[in-house]
Amino acid sequence: MSVKRIEHGHRYEDFEVGRVFQHHWGRTLTQADNTLFVSLTMHYNPLYVNAEYARTLGYESCPIHPLLVFNTALGLSVEDLSEGGGPFLGLGDVRFFRPVYSGDTLAAESEVLSRRLTASRPGWAIVSWRTRGYNQRQELVLEYQRTNLVRTRSAS
Amino acid sequence: MSLTGAESYFEDFTPGDVYEHSRGRTVTEMDNVLITHLTMNTASPHFNLHMMQGFMGGEFPERLVMGGYTIGLVVGLTSEDISENAVADLGYTNIRLKAPVFHGDTLYAESEILRLEESPVRPDCGVVHYRFRGRNQQGVEVVEGERTILVKKRAFWTEQ
Repeated sequence: MSVKRIEHGHRYEDFEVGRVFQHHWGRTLTQADNTLFVSLTMHYNPLYVNAEYARTLGYESCPIHPLLVFNTALGLSVEDLSEGGGPFLGLGDVRFFRPVYSGDTLAAESEVLSRRLTASRPGWAIVSWRTRGYNQRQELVLEYQRTNLVRTRSAS
Repeated sequence: MSLTGAESYFEDFTPGDVYEHSRGRTVTEMDNVLITHLTMNTASPHFNLHMMQGFMGGEFPERLVMGGYTIGLVVGLTSEDISENAVADLGYTNIRLKAPVFHGDTLYAESEILRLEESPVRPDCGVVHYRFRGRNQQGVEVVEGERTILVKKRAFWTEQ
């Protein structure tokens, strides 16, 4: 018998520039997720909740809202990138390449773009990554760059 | 019957115009915890109050609302006026989370039309670039960013 406590997450020292993380789990997105997300964010466009309207615009059915696709890729990346860290500071170049539909499965991976220690907050650093999300056919569906405050190993 | 508004077609947007969106929204614990877990986000500051009280020297009194939810809500508050007739979200950039959001904060949104472009592939639509800003009940800016959408042209999409 043993007692185990498994810590999750990485620190500044783990983020060598160019290192690639293939994130865990994957997530099959559903229309239930989509309806919940657009409802709780008050996103008023029938494209995401009215399948007949979506078909008049040329979609197969309601696409999953791109910000839910983004939030899911972000969520899948957290254990590797930011669970051991601090607040999310900003995002750039968020691009969507093709629609995601209910039943599609999203997987995410990230590459370290840059890291630097902060002068104003000892024990903390600013790290940027590029994250990409793929569907079950390995087609790129989105990419973005994210910047966070990240702890160093010396931080309490 | 029309499912979408008559005043948010591509032709209705003018660069420089500012929209003060009329609805606000109080962020609840349900919003933050539900969207954090629904998207499998494992960052404890969004859902572990006990841990948060010792985090970063106790700098934050409460769980932080997950930034991806704040972005989604502020964009949502702009959606009826700006993107109800959008057929696609093309992208976002220059997003800055400028101040923390907590359960109970009320967010309001403002948009500024930055520029308009023809679409190289969709003659029935045009591209609208706009800046969104979200402020809390004290007027403190919590998020800003730019969004690019593909919007229907009235000339192609409304009945003659």
